[in-house]
Amino acid sequence: MYLVLHWIVLATSWNILSGYSGYFSFGHGAFFGIGVYTTAVLAGKFDVPFLWTLPAAALLAALVGVALGAVVFRVRRVRGEVFALLTLAVTFVLATIVLNTPIDGGPGVYLSAIAVPALAPTPSGAFYMMALILAVLTLVIARAIPQARLGVGLFAIHDDEDAAEVMGVPTYRYKLAAFGISCALAGVAGGIQALFVSYVTANSTFNITVPLTVILMSVLGGTRHWAGPAIGATAITLLLYASTAADQALAGKAISGAILVAAVLFMPDGILELLRTRVSRSAPRLAVPPAKAPMQPTLQSVRSSTGAHGSRPLLSVRGLRKSFAGVRALDGVDLDVHEGEIVGVLGPNGSGKSTLINVVSGHYRAETGSVAFAGAELAELPAHRIARAGIARTYQIPRPFAHLSVRDNVALTAMFGLAQLERAAANDIAMQWLAFTGLQSRSAAMPGDLNLHQTKFLELARALASQPRLLMLDEVLSGLTPTEIDEAVELIRRIRDRGTTIVLVEHVVRVVTALSDRIVVLDQGRVLAQGKASEIMARDDVAVAYLGVPHA
Amino acid sequence: MTTVQRLAFRAGAAICALAALMLASTGAMAQGAQPPVRIGSTLALTGPLASTGLVHKVVGEIYVEQLNKRGGLLGRQVEWIVKDDQSKPDLARTLYEQLLTVDKVDLLIGPYATGAILSAMGVAQRYNKVLVHHTFGIPSMAKYEMQFPAWSLGPDPANTVPNTVFDALAASPKPPKTIAVVTSKFPSVHFMSLGAREVAKKRGLNEVLFLEWDFGNLDYGPIAARIKDAKPDFLWVGAIGLEGNQLLDALSKIDYTPQEHFYMYPAPGPMSKSPLAKNALSMTVFEEHPPFTNAPGAKEFIALYHERAAKAGIPDTSVEVQAAASYTAWQILEAGVRGANSLDDKAIAAWIKKNGVDTIQGHLRFDGPSNYGDDLMRVKQVQNGRWVTVYPKEFAAPGATLLVQ
Amino acid sequence: MTLPSGTLLAQSALSGVFIGSLYGLLGLGVSLSWGLLHIINLTHFGFAFLAAYLCYQLASVGGIDPLLTLVLIVPLFFGLGVAVQWLLARFSVSPLNSLLATFGLTAIIEAGIQAEWTADFRKLESIYAGQKFRIGALYVPVPELLTLSLAVALCFGVWAAMRYTDLGRALRALAEDAPVAAAFGIDRRSHALILAGVCGALAGVAGVCLALSFTLTPSQIYAWVGVVFAAVMLGGLGSALGPLTAGIIIGVSEAVTMAFVSPSWAPIVSFTLLIALLLLRPGRT
Repeated sequence: MYLVLHWIVLATSWNILSGYSGYFSFGHGAFFGIGVYTTAVLAGKFDVPFLWTLPAAALLAALVGVALGAVVFRVRRVRGEVFALLTLAVTFVLATIVLNTPIDGGPGVYLSAIAVPALAPTPSGAFYMMALILAVLTLVIARAIPQARLGVGLFAIHDDEDAAEVMGVPTYRYKLAAFGISCALAGVAGGIQALFVSYVTANSTFNITVPLTVILMSVLGGTRHWAGPAIGATAITLLLYASTAADQALAGKAISGAILVAAVLFMPDGILELLRTRVSRSAPRLAVPPAKAPMQPTLQSVRSSTGAHGSRPLLSVRGLRKSFAGVRALDGVDLDVHEGEIVGVLGPNGSGKSTLINVVSGHYRAETGSVAFAGAELAELPAHRIARAGIARTYQIPRPFAHLSVRDNVALTAMFGLAQLERAAANDIAMQWLAFTGLQSRSAAMPGDLNLHQTKFLELARALASQPRLLMLDEVLSGLTPTEIDEAVELIRRIRDRGTTIVLVEHVVRVVTALSDRIVVLDQGRVLAQGKASEIMARDDVAVAYLGVPHA
Repeated sequence: MTTVQRLAFRAGAAICALAALMLASTGAMAQGAQPPVRIGSTLALTGPLASTGLVHKVVGEIYVEQLNKRGGLLGRQVEWIVKDDQSKPDLARTLYEQLLTVDKVDLLIGPYATGAILSAMGVAQRYNKVLVHHTFGIPSMAKYEMQFPAWSLGPDPANTVPNTVFDALAASPKPPKTIAVVTSKFPSVHFMSLGAREVAKKRGLNEVLFLEWDFGNLDYGPIAARIKDAKPDFLWVGAIGLEGNQLLDALSKIDYTPQEHFYMYPAPGPMSKSPLAKNALSMTVFEEHPPFTNAPGAKEFIALYHERAAKAGIPDTSVEVQAAASYTAWQILEAGVRGANSLDDKAIAAWIKKNGVDTIQGHLRFDGPSNYGDDLMRVKQVQNGRWVTVYPKEFAAPGATLLVQ
Repeated sequence: MTLPSGTLLAQSALSGVFIGSLYGLLGLGVSLSWGLLHIINLTHFGFAFLAAYLCYQLASVGGIDPLLTLVLIVPLFFGLGVAVQWLLARFSVSPLNSLLATFGLTAIIEAGIQAEWTADFRKLESIYAGQKFRIGALYVPVPELLTLSLAVALCFGVWAAMRYTDLGRALRALAEDAPVAAAFGIDRRSHALILAGVCGALAGVAGVCLALSFTLTPSQIYAWVGVVFAAVMLGGLGSALGPLTAGIIIGVSEAVTMAFVSPSWAPIVSFTLLIALLLLRPGRT
């Protein structure tokens, strides 16, 4: 009935931002309240026909949400509980404003005189219809999002926002979009609710009950699935409803609590996940297709049309500086990388190798300096734009998206990197790159199931799937056995042969000297030496930097 | 046994069974084999409003029991179906719909507190049911013509109630000259306090302080400090529930005792028991002393309520506004059904409106705006740990007058 | 808007400090749970109120000095805290699910409280209730002073324990990286149980403070959740002094606002301040 649908809308809309992206909002009540009061004021005080107030409610709620998000999402450390607190605080602020200004001012807004739109023979039928339409709309949106780029991006943000940004997901925009949609839907639900209760007061609207309840419903049902919150909403509303018999009011409350506790303890991933695992276990096992021989990806080479090496460097770094709390990680680095080269970067620990990659890929912002890539200046751009320009990198400690399958991890960069492919095409490319790196049989596995070697190759496949012009490998060989290292080296050569320029940060000196066309040695944030391998390794200052004593 | 004996035995058993059945059905018919009259409502039995909701539950049960002893309604027993709306108006609305469409009750009666009553009123309006309700705080919002209030606030309480209070103060030994109005923003209280400001201004009182706080405020320290600073002769506190006590606690912590103080809707028990609430004033429509107790049925009701309330664990078992209004509501509904001699809501409503009803609050009429009649609110005061009515004189407890410091 | 006198301001600020300290005391247990055990513990509020009601019962009906009830309440709630943690750990409940589970437990506690004591208001009239000190023109009521003292003592005590004792260090290590800490011989389960017990005991103390100063009714459990969560999140999860500091900031900012303008505006000031602090303060971790 109406209440079930009402909560389905609220819980599902909350989940669109908070469940999908992991940004837990404690403030859903605020946007619901905006919707309630928009309708209350427009219909109650200004005689706007009820149905017209609903889009207004949606719009206003979305505007406030987006404005809030625009400010808050810019601040990097606003994650996790800080975002939760901010949204909670916004609820209190809004409630106070509503209570103290003519919007409500204290007496509440009375809506009994407003005509219920004749969508059904009875007014309660009309409410049911409105709620039903809204619920269906919300569920359709919630379902569509994970299948679109927005959804994939949000899930990636959920697992590792910084990595997602570096892989090309426009995190700021996507969070705002999700927030806006979430708030708009909550706003409409609020508008309908205003007429349903026909008397709104600030206290009952901006209660902590609403945000708390939607969180409970979504978590109970399952936050990663579009239908999860709906299931949780239905379950909890029915539970609440079942305990309304007067004589057992208290017992009913206690029993509801006990059922909730039991549900959480025995269904930790939510009701939906439990059902899904049950269903998949009982479904016949699909035959695993036999591992095909690794095929060569049928992608064109990324060599630029001009083709020539060395006319203008692909990557040109000048005067790059980056400090962390007083420690100069990069202290004025100048570096050129030409198209088709493999440049090896060596240096002792703390010399700035990883920082260099982090800054060039946009993971950190440079303090000063310039990074010119294929003619464009990248230093001021957000990381996702840098990824779009054609730069990809692997992480020294692999950072795959834990809740996405191996294939989806790789498909993500194909969608958001230079290639900018559609979902289906991205999936194909992903499978091909997995084959290239030998992981095609694990494509449906989760990253947590892979060993270190496989995870490193997953990182590699993920970086490659974006069709980068420049690939930066951050200690991709660390932790591998000698045989695995040889395999990796073979792979890197093949990657270069296809036209990708490679910057290789490594400790394993023999590999670097064997693979690289040129070597750059960093020491204490500055370039100590660059040139051909043989020259570099013979130099005394390089030996000193590494070993502390010049060789005899 | 032989075949004949077995046959006889079986025949005998059958006859006995048939006879028993006939006796039983005769007995049932003697009691009136008609189905009971079902009256449905919700109450806040859990949630913030539960303490008062329980009062209404006890009163309702007493009334229905008494009513059935007297033969019920229209010769049928009465059954009261009550559900817990958990202090949530939207749940109240849904449950009232359910009562009508699923449980198919014959009549409705109101829930507790203004928000829920408005929800119920909306449902009643949409299904053309008469709705008698107990304690509705904002008469101007009661716009449905088939709703009837049991709480006699009169149509314009924001004006009439403060006037009563100020009349009482003017007749006292020490009429105040300065007034502070501090109030919660709880809807049913807020508009009354605003009315009090207007009336005070008209009567030439000097307002030295006006403050509003959010219902749900936890810290009364600064409010108390400001009151102490303002030193009013008379403190009007727009408080509901515990707010008055919380304010008094805060005031006592900074060594301030208000000279004369008034509380709009305090929780009666805690306020009368608090040593800080000496001489606190409030309003009532019924107290446990003459002349109220002279109303027909009042004494029996009071005795029964004491017993049942104690059994239910309610700390303060005296009958005052909430219990009296609750009882009155049932009286109105019963009178309406008897008077119209039918369960037809329109007939009941028409009869009530035309004739008014005699209740423990006296004769109530319903022919004013929003079906409100007279403002029957009287001024009461905490004296020696008990509430006694002090004004107007005809309703004061024997020998009681308004005490001042 | 008349300008308040100095006394008025000071008294108001003091009032804010008192209630802020209670926010902090309530928040201490929540913060430790959340930050170190990764449990978002709503049951903390249920326990605090249950303790408050028990104190009320023992003191009002049994005639025992409310502070003495701590002798019973602290161990009792230590045990209850351990019990809840045991349950949650047994099922390896995730942080978010812990919110759900503890909400369910709180509902059960609330129903139980109402069944035993009805929804009616219960006020503990203790011998401390009327006592107060005067410092110049300022009044310092004894129950509030007790709350402040307990809050400060416990917060600093926990802070010191976290810093200087082995147990404290072990707990912090576990919170940062449990598998590694386990490799160093720190038993995760028993340490978690001890910490949960301590949090339970803290809830018990907070409950006694509640009983001393406030009127009790079951639905009031939720009135504190919002502002205490705010103090916890502002103060930093797992911090011992954070909730106290944040709570006092919130309490004082609201109280001072109430001294100047209509008190119903108070939440705006404290929460806007909160928002500003969150956005502008220097980054941590």
